[in-house]
Amino acid sequence: MSALGGKAAGGEGINWQGVAVGIVIIIIALGITFAFGSEGLVIPLLGIIIGGALIGFGVHFVPVGGAPAAMGQAPGIATGVAMLAAGAGLAGLFGGAWAFSATGDFLTAVLGGAVGGGMMMAITCLMVNLTYVFAMGVPAASGKVDKDPITGYSFPEYKSQGTEGHGLPFISYVGGVVGGFIAGLGGTLIYIELLLVYSAGLPVLLEASAEAVAPLAVSLAGILAIGFFLINAVLSAYNITGTIEGPHDPKFKRVPRAIIGCAVASAFCGLISILIIVAF
Amino acid sequence: MTVKIEASSGGMPHNTIMMYGLIVSVVCIYLTYLNQLTDTQWFAFFGGIGAIAALWWGSDTIKHLCSYGLGTGVPSAGMIAFGIGAIAMVFATKFDIATPIVAIIIAGIIGAIIGYIANSIVNMNIPVMVMSMCELAIVGALTMLGFSAMCAGSFGFNNLVVAAGSGEVIMAIIPELGVIVQSGGPLFGASVIGGSVLAVIFILGAMALQHPFNACLGPNESQDRTLMLAAEVGFLSMIAVAVMSYAFIDGLSATIALVVSLLGWYYTFTQYVALSKRDAFMWLDAKPIREVGGK
Amino acid sequence: MEEIVLGIGITALAGALATIAGAAEDTESDIGSQGDPNSQVQLAPQMGYIHRIFNKAISGEPPAYAAWCAIGAGVAWAFLQIGYNPALAIILGSIVAVFVQGIYCISGYLGRTASLAKFEQPVYIDIIKSLLSVTMAHAFIAIFCTVTVCYLMATVLHAQPFALPILGLLWGLALGAAGSATGNPFYGKERQYQNQNFGAGVPISASGNIVRYAEAGERSSLDNGWFTTKFAGPASGICFGLIVFLELWRTVLFETSLGGWGAIVAGIVLILIFAVINLWVEKWGRETYGPYTSEEASS
Repeated sequence: MSALGGKAAGGEGINWQGVAVGIVIIIIALGITFAFGSEGLVIPLLGIIIGGALIGFGVHFVPVGGAPAAMGQAPGIATGVAMLAAGAGLAGLFGGAWAFSATGDFLTAVLGGAVGGGMMMAITCLMVNLTYVFAMGVPAASGKVDKDPITGYSFPEYKSQGTEGHGLPFISYVGGVVGGFIAGLGGTLIYIELLLVYSAGLPVLLEASAEAVAPLAVSLAGILAIGFFLINAVLSAYNITGTIEGPHDPKFKRVPRAIIGCAVASAFCGLISILIIVAF
Repeated sequence: MTVKIEASSGGMPHNTIMMYGLIVSVVCIYLTYLNQLTDTQWFAFFGGIGAIAALWWGSDTIKHLCSYGLGTGVPSAGMIAFGIGAIAMVFATKFDIATPIVAIIIAGIIGAIIGYIANSIVNMNIPVMVMSMCELAIVGALTMLGFSAMCAGSFGFNNLVVAAGSGEVIMAIIPELGVIVQSGGPLFGASVIGGSVLAVIFILGAMALQHPFNACLGPNESQDRTLMLAAEVGFLSMIAVAVMSYAFIDGLSATIALVVSLLGWYYTFTQYVALSKRDAFMWLDAKPIREVGGK
Repeated sequence: MEEIVLGIGITALAGALATIAGAAEDTESDIGSQGDPNSQVQLAPQMGYIHRIFNKAISGEPPAYAAWCAIGAGVAWAFLQIGYNPALAIILGSIVAVFVQGIYCISGYLGRTASLAKFEQPVYIDIIKSLLSVTMAHAFIAIFCTVTVCYLMATVLHAQPFALPILGLLWGLALGAAGSATGNPFYGKERQYQNQNFGAGVPISASGNIVRYAEAGERSSLDNGWFTTKFAGPASGICFGLIVFLELWRTVLFETSLGGWGAIVAGIVLILIFAVINLWVEKWGRETYGPYTSEEASS
């Protein structure tokens, strides 16, 4: 994702009118689902909403510097925020889906997906720092804070002339791992909820046995989970407007907007994707 | 320091492009219904043409949206459009003959809601956001519908989830026992959705939607060149879909689709190169760097 | 037991293939100048620096590689469905994918460069003639290895539920994310701005002033590939290889231990180990290089 960004339009603060409309949309989505399938479909929809909100939350932790980071002009990972989070979250989805199909246990599958996302980010962030320190001779320095909240390292004197900082300070590293963890958790949660809905509903709809329908349910849930992930990650990227250093960045204060936005988006998209199994 | 996103103004009005794109796309997707009427699969390639018409329209929408500056890259708009389009398209395929219409309505509603969220909850405040997201979601749904119809031979839900040829009566003749007739069950795992070919269509379409404007942005961007590139990447995606359709429809129909897409791709590609040559400052072959001012 | 041994063998093979894929992917994207560092190639003519670098504008690496690997996996899946043997199917899939990639490269270069006419940047058509085959060759290696990894996952690891095309999309996206994250700074800072101080970031005021001339003659993107294969390529390869290897390793070995929690515990332990290594790297950099002094800053 090339960061050929123009000026970011997003300001600070929360638009309460928009939030109110959003909550109404969530309630309508839950109501329609209840009308079609009582609690059996409402609980998966709630899971999808929580999963979407988790993705929106997790993306904000991932330290992404975009094009300036590739020149050592700004801290963070030199790629696009939505796609880096998607790379981590979907690597997690692979682990979570595998664990769910092997054990069938909800909790270990969801956590397995989260750990998969966290591990992908842990390795990637480590390799980023190795490149900065050993190949470019650049120490890590944040541009947004003077002191690392975890290690206590001070940054201003380690920041080279004419830049906003570079590399990944430890707080950004932790942010990356936590972001991958939460994004993986959200993605796997959405996948498993969709899979449960489809593996229960498709055999009835298609008048076939559950085993025969299993590959179809897995594929449909997988494709739509990727779709959900991208919708939520891109909405969060719009909220971040390009680059963020991690949980210590002032932009992180915008996170409630993304959580609400992703929850609303997931609610309505979840409604449509659950209605696929309802025969009209 | 980053590059400002610049786009040309003028040219064909956006609403005209939208009308052409929408009508051609829907008509072409409906033309795949000729397969059912004639009991063949020769007309599958019309789905691909419909998808290209939608992509052609969508690349102009992306240009309008992204000239406002989203704060993140142009490709993100393609991804979110197809995320919505995938959900709307799978839902719509259950409505048999009304599928394209339902896909447009559902994708439009979801797109408008996502646009509203981006504007009012995420505070982007971009004037064209709601309309653009609405259009992009419809483009996503129609593109996926068109390519899926091309792959499977029709856009019905049952055709997309059950592989062709499954459920046929398999006769096994064993002399000692006489004739045993066995009925094979439906093969869900070998279908367009069950085999996850829809995921390939998803990413092919998302790339084709964002690429034309992303590749052509700059101070000398011109509409006809961007739209020609949209048609070019559309036909290029159609080639890949045509190759994959060999697994679902008969060889003759898939070959027809492949030949149509190759011919279309060749024509649009040469046209695009010619237009690039027209717009380029100079067209040099193996020449050294020519510094500004001709030094 | 036999299944675990087979699983470990597959894990090792997948990790090795992923390492090759990561290295080829990053080299390809540096020769073609894809992703974030390309913003400087795009910016240079606006600042008056006409250059002969491949300006390949195809989104970022993660969606691009998700697309190439998904096409490769999808076409391979289709040919497997018809009854082709796996080796042939994967090669045919990679060929179709690399054809699509090559055409995207041409249109990206022509489009962006033609749109820069205002700044007098000519289209050097020989760049495409000489470099396209190089990037396509690297992309073929990356796609072929990734699709093979996905094929191994889809056929040998039975508990893993996804079909081949969806795995191609997932791992292609991860490949692009890992490759661009690791490789971009090295290409962007270290190679494009080789004229700037070593051991410091590029000052924002120097943006666009990329190196355009080589030791002898003019720098081409092939020189950039020559440089980045020394570090960024292998580093990206190790990054993606580790991701694939450890993700499979922890699941294959510890799936059933500790009542299903083994894989999670193993993953968390690995994350902690990587965090400690990272802390050490950061500390080493600070202590060895020390703070920037005013003399260095003024030069």
